[in-house]
Amino acid sequence: MEVYAERSWTDGLPVMPVTESYLSEFLAATGRSPDEVLLAMPHLDRECTVRTAAINAAMAGCRPEYFPVVLAAWSALDEEGYVPRAIWQSTTGTAPMLLVNGPIRERIGVNSRGNVFGSGFRANATIGRAIRLTAINAFGLRPHELDQATQGNPAKYTACIAENEEESPWMPFHVEHGFDAETSTVTALTMRSVAHIEARHTTAPEQLALDLADTIRRTGALIHETISACIALGPEHAELFAQHGWTKDDLRRFVFEHSVNARAALAAVGKDAVSGQTRWRLSGAHPDAVPDSVAGSDQVRVLNSEQALQIVVAGAHNSGVSAVIETFGPRGGPPAIAPIESVPA
Amino acid sequence: MSICTDAFSAPARAMADMYGLPDFEPVMIPHPIASLTQAEIEANIREIIPDIVRVLTGTP
Repeated sequence: MEVYAERSWTDGLPVMPVTESYLSEFLAATGRSPDEVLLAMPHLDRECTVRTAAINAAMAGCRPEYFPVVLAAWSALDEEGYVPRAIWQSTTGTAPMLLVNGPIRERIGVNSRGNVFGSGFRANATIGRAIRLTAINAFGLRPHELDQATQGNPAKYTACIAENEEESPWMPFHVEHGFDAETSTVTALTMRSVAHIEARHTTAPEQLALDLADTIRRTGALIHETISACIALGPEHAELFAQHGWTKDDLRRFVFEHSVNARAALAAVGKDAVSGQTRWRLSGAHPDAVPDSVAGSDQVRVLNSEQALQIVVAGAHNSGVSAVIETFGPRGGPPAIAPIESVPA
Repeated sequence: MSICTDAFSAPARAMADMYGLPDFEPVMIPHPIASLTQAEIEANIREIIPDIVRVLTGTP
């Protein structure tokens, strides 16, 4: 363990030493070739193979049966597209947030209920960590070197949740996006932060939805012209919406329409225009400023479309708490979801 | 050639090493840029012009 630490093969926490025989157990958990490239970063001339991912998954403390989830996570991250384009080196300091759906949750014990973003569950803790250790060891993204994050965020140790499908009033996230309920999947969400929504006071769906929209529209999140988000609704909040006849699309539409800032509020923080070079928000008084896409409108949406907002159900059914996962980039297209390979037992 | 702010000297050198160019010298300009006025940026540029000339012409 000390040798691994001395060689900087760690995120700061102790890692599990890996032998050839232990590695072979991971490689036996997939039908894919050890030399298959999972994700490449051409600007670094580096890539991650199935073998490298397996070594780091073992170092992270994964059990071999978790490895197909790790592999699906790499596929989803590749499809999402931000990682190959160097987002993990950015000053923004993003982290990979993984969402697991389907029967694998129960099979390997991925927590979807109480303390879902917190500690206590080996599968959640180590699957997320496997991705981060690979970023450090395969791509060399160490802080103060190629990882230039100004502050980073706590999810850079690990971030993996499962959807609480059993206590959701709506269809599971992966089924909503065309997968069979019996298929297990991983969704990749490159994220900046998880903001907590405290709303135990209301039985009115409109009030709750406005509370969510108020968090999503915050001006501090605006680097680009628009932002994206994933609402992780606590089951109690999800049930409140469902009891009032709201579908997930009803909620999405309402939050989209109300995630709005007044032009004057944007001007007050110097974000009422965009740069003609980068399209990042800045003051209309800046020499690079050009009008944003809705110039002339006093009400400025922070989401470019309803599809820039995803909704999942996670956490315990014990209070009116939800979260907004602030995802990176404007988005608007379908989420990046990869099926988990099923390996015969 | 490459110009970056001095806050990024470590990643700039790490990238140069990775490309097999350990002697590559990125020209450093004081950090920050985004929060400066046009006049302050121009003053910083004037300060690094000798470095730009030195790196471009290969003079020691």
